Order: sequence, then structure tokens, then C-alpha cells
Amino acid sequence: MGIGYTAGKPAGIMIQLFHVSKYYDRRPALSDINLLIEKGEFVLLMGPSGAGKTTLLKLLFGTERPDDGQILVQNRNVARLRASAIPYLRRTMGIVFQDFRLLPKKNVFENVALPLMVQGTSTFEIRRKVTEALKAVGVDHKKDQRPATLSAGEQQRVCIARAIVNSPIILLADEPTGNLDPHLSSEIIELFKVINARGTTIMVATHNPQVMAQANRRVLRLDQGKLVAD
Amino acid sequence: MRRIAYLVKESMTNIRLNRTTTLVAVASTAFTLACFGVFLLLYLNLRGVVSSLQDDIKIVVYLHDGLSGQGLSDLQQRLKGEREVATLSYVSKEQALADFREQFPSEYHLLQGLGENPLPASFVVTLAPRFRSSEAVRQWAKRLTTMAGVAQVQYSRDWIENLATVIGFIELGAVAVGSILSAASVTIIASTIRLTLLARRDEIEILRLVGATGAFIKVPYLLEGAVLGAVGGLLSLAILRGGFDLFKLQLGPTGRFLGVESWLNFFPGHVSLLIIGAGLALGFTGSLVSLIQFGRASA
Repeated sequence: MGIGYTAGKPAGIMIQLFHVSKYYDRRPALSDINLLIEKGEFVLLMGPSGAGKTTLLKLLFGTERPDDGQILVQNRNVARLRASAIPYLRRTMGIVFQDFRLLPKKNVFENVALPLMVQGTSTFEIRRKVTEALKAVGVDHKKDQRPATLSAGEQQRVCIARAIVNSPIILLADEPTGNLDPHLSSEIIELFKVINARGTTIMVATHNPQVMAQANRRVLRLDQGKLVAD
Repeated sequence: MRRIAYLVKESMTNIRLNRTTTLVAVASTAFTLACFGVFLLLYLNLRGVVSSLQDDIKIVVYLHDGLSGQGLSDLQQRLKGEREVATLSYVSKEQALADFREQFPSEYHLLQGLGENPLPASFVVTLAPRFRSSEAVRQWAKRLTTMAGVAQVQYSRDWIENLATVIGFIELGAVAVGSILSAASVTIIASTIRLTLLARRDEIEILRLVGATGAFIKVPYLLEGAVLGAVGGLLSLAILRGGFDLFKLQLGPTGRFLGVESWLNFFPGHVSLLIIGAGLALGFTGSLVSLIQFGRASA
């Protein structure tokens, strides 16, 4: 199987949040969030800085635990998952960051290969999947270069290649266009649309209205930790 | 296999990127183990010397001059029946005089002046191995003095007991110095690994986010610690060997130590391996301590 999944109508539930709250120093970062995202959906998580977008993503990939409520991802309760099970949850997800988070001492190929390497994938499979992912995002000709030699847009593409190399069921992106100019932002959103069309559920956190306009998909609005519009 | 190659490569990269801290960690482990090794060398060699001296322990049982032939025979039978006795040989008055003349030719004229042979007859006893401890020797010698015909019992008790006490102190010193320096070495290696962990904090975070398990993240650092420790152990062996050879070389030509240098031995192979193993264990422990602290801090 290649990258992503067969396109088709959304079928079944991918993410569910029940009365989820998260506090930092007794201040609510998220308050009583209820949410349902179906398989294959492309959802934009909008809101100003400090609205709780990043906190919500962190709860989904298990770097934070909710103080109240339950979170189901692929029918697994992330809120109650043992710490040792979290890495296996993350292997079914792809994560894209605003600051790319690429390893500066490794080349593009090695960076993209990282999720496969930690799973013990064979050398042959790593080569095949990484090449495929790099082609999908259009940076396969840069595979031997270090991240520092790439433009911001190329670095974000490498970051996306790393996120999709493992054929994730869900792709979570936190302000993926935050460091990019409007033209590059639009390229990245188009790339997400292609990935989504292959069946991957996508949630993009952004405060950029241009992204919302271009994506033209379901929008969840957060403000001061509360879900104010869906 | 691919994953193991990756983990080994990562630990080697860590070592290469942190040359200075790596050198400090290796040097401190080598110093620790070398200090401990000096005590161990001293201890093992002295124990070897004592062991060979104990094999040679002879008890000389001097007899009364007026002891009759029957009395001599009875005493000989009685001594042969003792559990402590491994071998028993009789030295007559004449034999004692002949031995004296052979060993001290220049002093012989002193005895001639006395007219009659003043040296007593004696039995020379070598002890059975399990009765060679200083306490066993002391107890048996005390019992011998009560036997009929025995004038005096002589053995090198004090000297053996003193050596045993010195060895006990050396043993204690080795344990104390070894413990203190081991703790220091673990701390230094832990600091080295902590520096690496801090320098690679972002990388560790990325590995976590792409689904790396705790073991996958920790193994390169544990390997790094173990390699640093083992290299430190090897270096300490080289230092000890060099020092040992130099010491033997210094003893040799002086001739002041009655050939004691020929009794000195370096560590046998299995002890050398143990020292490298100890370095490896120190390094591994240092890494583990550091990873536990780092895990708590980044939790």
C-alpha cells in the first residue's frame, strides 16, 4: 500500500472528545470540549493565539493528558492510555509543526525515514516509502541535502513527507503555514487536500483566515479554551 | 538488525560530537579504576606472598637434652598422630651443629669455644594446609609445650600475624577508596551523558513524537556510557601495567629486596576482564542515573 488510503466517503468515527478540560496552573486551557470527527474528514481548528488549539492537538497525540473528560482516537481512550502505549498510538499519526522540527545533522532522506526507523522497518521498505513520500511532496531531488540548505517551504514539505511516510490514519498539523509566505502557504494547503483525498483524516490548527478560505472545509472555532463554533 | 545498527551508530555519533566531555569521562573512569587497581594489585600480590609463606610455615619443636631414646620415640609417635602434622623430620644435635656450621661458617668458632655441643635436637614440623592460619598455629604450639620432652616451640607467629593484619587493612582501604572513587566516576559519567541529553533534547522530543519507544531513545545513551566506561577500564589497565612494569624495573637492579620482584605478578586475565567489566558497569550506571533524572525533568 502506498501513501494514504483509498479515497471515499467518510465512514465511521475517527476522533471523539467528551467534556474534555485541561488546566495549566488552575487556568483553563480547554473547557468542556465535545467534538466528533469522522474518518477521512479535513477539519480546520481556528482561533487566536492562546485559544487552546495547540493544547487540543497535544491531547490528541498524547503529550498532554486531559484533567477531565475522555478522548477517543480510533476507538482508543487516549486519556487512559498507559505511557508505554503512547508511542504505538503516535505511529498511526503524522504530525506537522510550524517550526518543522527537522534534525539539522541528518539529511532530508534520514529525517523522513525517522518514523520508519523507530519501528524497525527494513532497509528496502524504508527506501521505497521515503522515496514515495518525498515524491508526493515534491522534494525527492533534495534527499541528500541538510535541512539548513532548504527554503522554508521545502523544509515544511520535508516535515509533511515525514508525517505521511508511515501512511498515517490521522495527520495533525499545528500552524503549518505560520512560517511561510502566502504563496507557499497555499501550496501546503493544496498538498494537505491531496493527502486528504487519499483517505487520511486531517486536522489543521491555524489562526490564518487565508488558510480557512483556501481549504474551504469544516471549521472548528476555539476561543479562550471553549469551542464556540462548528 | 537495521534498528540495532541505527542505535549503535547514534551512540558513536554522540561520542564523536562530545569529544571533550567524552575524554573527561574516560579519564575519570580510568583514574578511578587505576587507583582501585593499585590497591587490588597490592592486595593480590601480598595475599599470594602470604599464601606461599604459609605453605612454608615450619614449627621447630626443640627437645630437652636429657630426653631418653624411649622418650624420643614416644614423642615422635605422638606427633605423627597429630592432625596438624603434614610432615615430621628429626634433627639430631649433631645434625643441628653441622647445619649451623654450613649456614654460619664465620660464627662456628664461637660454638667451639663452649666445648660441648650446645644445640638441642629438634623435630621440624610442616603443617597440614587447614591448620596454617595464625590462630590454629598459635593454639597448637601452646599445646605442644605441655608435651613431655618438649623444651621450646618456635615459629614465626608475629610476622605472619602482622602481615595478615596489613592485608586486612589494604582490603579495607581498597573497598573504601574503590567505593568513593566509583561514586565519583558514576557522577562524572552521568554529567557527561546529561550534557549529551541536553544538547540533543530537541532530537529526543522529535523521536518521541514520531513514535519512538523509551527503550529506542535510551539505548544509544546507555551504550555510550557503557563504551566510555569500558574504554576507561582498558586505559586504567594500560596505566597499571605501565606502572607495574616500571616498579619491577626499579626493584630489579638494586637487589635490595631479596628477589621479591620475582614474586610480583600483574593481574591474571580474568581479573583484567573484571576491571574492564567494572568500567563498563560504572559507565552504564552513570548513563542510567542521567536518563532517570532527565526523564523526571522532561516528564
